[in-house]
Amino acid sequence: MNKTRNDQFFSNLEKFVNKFYPNQPQRQPYLNLKTWPSPRDEAWKFSRLGKLARKNILPLNLENQKDININKLIKDSISLVFVNGKFEKKLSDKLPSEIAIEEVQIEHFKEIINKFDNLFVKSHPTLNSTISCSKKFFKIKFKNDVKFDRPIEIFNLGGTENTSIHPFIFMDLGKNIDVKVFQHYSTYAGLLAPLEIINLSKNSNLEIIKIYDDKKNSYNLSLTLSVIQEEANLRSFALIKGGEFTRSEMHTLLEGENSKADINGIYLSSGNQHHDLTSCVYHNVPNCKSSQIVKGVLGEEATAVFQGKVRVEKLAQKTEAKQMSRTIMLSDKAVSNSKPELEIYADDVICGHGATVGELDEDQIFYLSSRGISKQKAKVILIDAFLNEMISLSISDKFHDIIYNETKTKINNLLANEYE
Amino acid sequence: MPMLEIKNAELSIDDKKILKGLSLNVNEGETHAIMGPNGSGKSTLSYMLAGRDGYELDNGSITFNNIDLIPLSPDERSNLGLFLAFQYPVELPGVSSTNFLREIFNSRKKYLGEDELTHLDFIKHLRKVAQNLSIKDEMLKRYVNYGFSGGEKKRFEILQMALLNPKISVLDETDSGLDVDALKIVSEGVNNLKDKKNAVIVITHYQRLLDYIKPDIVHIMSDGKIIKSGDADLALYIEKNGYSEILNEQN
Repeated sequence: MNKTRNDQFFSNLEKFVNKFYPNQPQRQPYLNLKTWPSPRDEAWKFSRLGKLARKNILPLNLENQKDININKLIKDSISLVFVNGKFEKKLSDKLPSEIAIEEVQIEHFKEIINKFDNLFVKSHPTLNSTISCSKKFFKIKFKNDVKFDRPIEIFNLGGTENTSIHPFIFMDLGKNIDVKVFQHYSTYAGLLAPLEIINLSKNSNLEIIKIYDDKKNSYNLSLTLSVIQEEANLRSFALIKGGEFTRSEMHTLLEGENSKADINGIYLSSGNQHHDLTSCVYHNVPNCKSSQIVKGVLGEEATAVFQGKVRVEKLAQKTEAKQMSRTIMLSDKAVSNSKPELEIYADDVICGHGATVGELDEDQIFYLSSRGISKQKAKVILIDAFLNEMISLSISDKFHDIIYNETKTKINNLLANEYE
Repeated sequence: MPMLEIKNAELSIDDKKILKGLSLNVNEGETHAIMGPNGSGKSTLSYMLAGRDGYELDNGSITFNNIDLIPLSPDERSNLGLFLAFQYPVELPGVSSTNFLREIFNSRKKYLGEDELTHLDFIKHLRKVAQNLSIKDEMLKRYVNYGFSGGEKKRFEILQMALLNPKISVLDETDSGLDVDALKIVSEGVNNLKDKKNAVIVITHYQRLLDYIKPDIVHIMSDGKIIKSGDADLALYIEKNGYSEILNEQN
């Protein structure tokens, strides 16, 4: 992208940074236009940013707190509320002594970002805009050797039309920690650009469930960079259902032996929504496992993208990597793009991938109807089954019903619209 | 007035005529067997009766208890009391067998205007019915037909039949893929459900099944029509002499 293409958004960012952070030169490198995706960029081929770039979106510096609804999914969870990208202590639950939120400088997480030395990450608009524009960088610090019974629910709220908000969170997990985190994305923003950095130290387990449910017309370009140390385990699940354009992009670096990462997700897309799950897993050391399993249900004129990449370095023998995408199309106007990629330099590995796209199975619908179940109800049963399989595979048992319920309204809408 | 009346049914698939003027009357309390060589249109007949998309009649009529079946969808036909035991039961990964059975059982109850059973009462009822068909609890915990053996799939079909208590059941090659023990269990299941108010149509290649499920009337089907009907002895004759003699008689 260059300025002749009328990159309004970028020039708004530049002005914003120069006005509000004139004395913070460490932000400047991230404002370099050359580091932003171009339309020819392979990583953005199926999810075009031209429309966003031309929009007159301004970074939000005002504190706009109307319509703040905090709907916890788990009664006894610990909520951390971010409004317009800023941590709101007053709206959040009191933190137990084992958890702390502190402000950090770019230097504290730069080293982690630099471990992802590729264009996918370096040219990512969220990495660049959020490091340039985020007011403060927050780190959540967990105490070592603690198994947290209460899950954490992080809420990303706020925003107004034609503004961008830039939440930043650095989750730094020391050794032997076990924690479950829900991430809610429910903003009204023109653009939500959340940058999350995760460091999982030895023998720690993080289960993270991301629920993308931003309001109509909003863009969400979520970027998560995770580094996993030995014997640590990241279990990530994304449910994408909201917004006009949502891309959940995760880069996961398996840096310690015997570590594991499951980067799974579901997208439910209707109307003219565009949903994108992009995941890259880098196996840099031997004896690690990863899976990237994605399922989607598409209706009306929705488009969806799954890009999964596994890179296995020469050193990373005995890697086990699995990749799979399955999409059900409820409409012939919907479009699904699936791009699985394996880049393997080691010779003793087990890697598998596959992708299917199709309508609901007519034989299955007929079988159910022949038992007295209406065609409409048969479709609900089959989609539920399709998603349930995924939910049981991807997340802890005790959260199944909660996540299943989160899919329910959307599925009913998808099927109702099909019959209109 | 027959319970099921098929008159001059003609049906094509991809412009190829499969049923060519088939007629069949089935009365309450009767068991019919339809036999015939491969490609005679037996499975087409069963899909046509169940109302599968793409199996609509070109000509002819079907009535069930005086109701025209042609405009009705598969679920509406099922609600009226028509049941098809599939030759190849369909796997439903992700759909738990118990939930599926409860769903179909209660939707039938609802249609009949009877009270639905609570989860606990249904489980009790299901256990009893399943036991009679030698179906273990473990099987009911699995997904519908998913990873079932051939015999398990067929028993699961009869289990559904027992729960739905249909007025007329079409068993499409329910004997295929069954060993003798499984054949006995399945046949006993069918016989136990049989009474003077309902009817069964058994579609089969072989006489073997008819040793266990005794037909009142045997029909020979060939080239999309019923070409000969008789009593149970007709099946024995086929078993001994094959189809060719009867087919030649026709020509």
